[in-house]
Amino acid sequence: MTEKIRTLIVEDEELARNLLKSYLKDQEAIELIHECENGFDGVKMINELKPDLIFLDIQMPKITGFEMLELLEHKPEIIFTTAYDQYALKAFDFHAADYLLKPYPKARLEEAVAKVVEKFKKGGSQPDIVDKVASFPKDEYLERVVVKDRHKISIIPVDQIRYFESMDDYVMIYTKEGRHIKQKTMKFFEASLNPREFVRIHRSYIVRVNEIAEIQQYEKESYVVILHDKSKLKVSKTGYKNIKGTLNF
Amino acid sequence: MRHPFITYPKLGIFYAIFWVVIALGNSIIQWKWDDISFGVSLGLCIVFYFSFAIIGTGIWFVIQYISFEGNSNFRFISSHLIAATIIIAIWLYISSVIVKLLGLHVEGYFKASIPYWLFGGYLLYVVFVISYLAITYYSNFKDKVRKEGELRSLVKEAELHALKSQINPHFLFNSLNSISSLTMSDPGRAQEMVINLSSLMRYSLKHNQNEKVPFREELENIKHYLDIEKVRFGSKLNTVFEIEDKCLSAKIPNMLLQPLYENAIKYGVYEATDPVDVITKCTKNGEFLVITISNEYDPNVITKKGEGIGLRNIKERLQVIFENPGLIQIENSDNIFTVTLSIPQEN
Repeated sequence: MTEKIRTLIVEDEELARNLLKSYLKDQEAIELIHECENGFDGVKMINELKPDLIFLDIQMPKITGFEMLELLEHKPEIIFTTAYDQYALKAFDFHAADYLLKPYPKARLEEAVAKVVEKFKKGGSQPDIVDKVASFPKDEYLERVVVKDRHKISIIPVDQIRYFESMDDYVMIYTKEGRHIKQKTMKFFEASLNPREFVRIHRSYIVRVNEIAEIQQYEKESYVVILHDKSKLKVSKTGYKNIKGTLNF
Repeated sequence: MRHPFITYPKLGIFYAIFWVVIALGNSIIQWKWDDISFGVSLGLCIVFYFSFAIIGTGIWFVIQYISFEGNSNFRFISSHLIAATIIIAIWLYISSVIVKLLGLHVEGYFKASIPYWLFGGYLLYVVFVISYLAITYYSNFKDKVRKEGELRSLVKEAELHALKSQINPHFLFNSLNSISSLTMSDPGRAQEMVINLSSLMRYSLKHNQNEKVPFREELENIKHYLDIEKVRFGSKLNTVFEIEDKCLSAKIPNMLLQPLYENAIKYGVYEATDPVDVITKCTKNGEFLVITISNEYDPNVITKKGEGIGLRNIKERLQVIFENPGLIQIENSDNIFTVTLSIPQEN
């Protein structure tokens, strides 16, 4: 191999970073270019340095490793390093090259690195990872959405969201304070939000049930929803059925 | 304690039956033996026994006032003798007034029967005292059994919680990963951490039968826990202890504190990117050991809800052991979360 794999570590615990670094020292294919202590730092440095490979912890302060991935403009290869095994499935939705369970032996790391080396030899490019995350755990609902507006990362608690509007490949998220754009699909949100709290009223809208002030009929068989702040949203036929089902009338 | 007729309403039925049987039985005997009509005999018995039945319910309050505990035998008996005499005097007076009003007054006979009523009154008083004491002991006993059962299940829950949080992957496997890292860079600290982890697990596996342990033991356990977390989080976790020496021998319920530190770490340190102080203060304030644990946290971070199991368990255990709901206080202001425990001390 002529060119080394430019590698970046995102890991909040110093000792875990030290271990990883000492393992990586002997890996000739790897060139460690930077290490980050948290996801915010990770987003910034990955977009800036564009590494080929990242080692990524999942449970970190402020935003998780998964949330960080959603904000990346540059998509490197990913090797997850975590103490939890229950994220493995989700990790592969992000096309992770490998998934290392802490504590892991050096041999396991070498194996993971070999996989990445192999991948680069084949010259396969990383597919778009955003929105492959439809398999959200069934018993849990989305609690927060992480968005990046220009240079700021915001964490929006789901209970502050009033409604979602689809805009081509993006979704506009409306809160009381303002709106944020996120590269996700309506399908994702529909699947991962609590159906008691949110209802899909139209191809283009998912609304918080408690935001609905009125449902008005304006033509035969067509309705609009009026929110507490007086904004009007169209309701489709299926949407009307959904509302009926959620509100029980 | 509440009056048994309120606690056990069914008792009232038995009470009524008891007095009807006594009054009826005595009136038949009196009618056979003495030279009076059955009507007068029945009337007299009804008046005397039914009025005693009504006045007798009040003897409950006398029992509450003059109890076995805290009184010598002599005082107990003499106090009850005085109370009995007063109650019987009132009873005899009220009964004779009613007898006169109802015209059941048979000249000569009534006066002669007074000593028998007097004797009967004392006898009934003794029966009342014995029955009420029996009821008191029975309900105290039942209470104690219930309380012990509740406490046992809460202690089990606390043990289980401690064990679960130690085998929680975030704690256990990250700690083991830190040890794995230290074995190469700093074997001495790796050994220290293994020992701390062992001590921590041993403490929660110990199944301490004693309800309470010296504060010193709990504190030691907490320090093992915090030392492990310190190795993991480095300078991000800063612990401060301000403990008065006289607190160390104070007794507190076992495994009480660890969930509080777990919360402090989970909500304060895990989510922080800057150093966080976890401050423990302990003073002995008269009859209370007052423990205050506070940590800074970032109110903007959203963590999973419904994880208050640790806090709820502590609250319930304190409530069951000390029968006082105000022993735990939670304060949440200016980015600082503070829990204050007041543990009553026996001197």
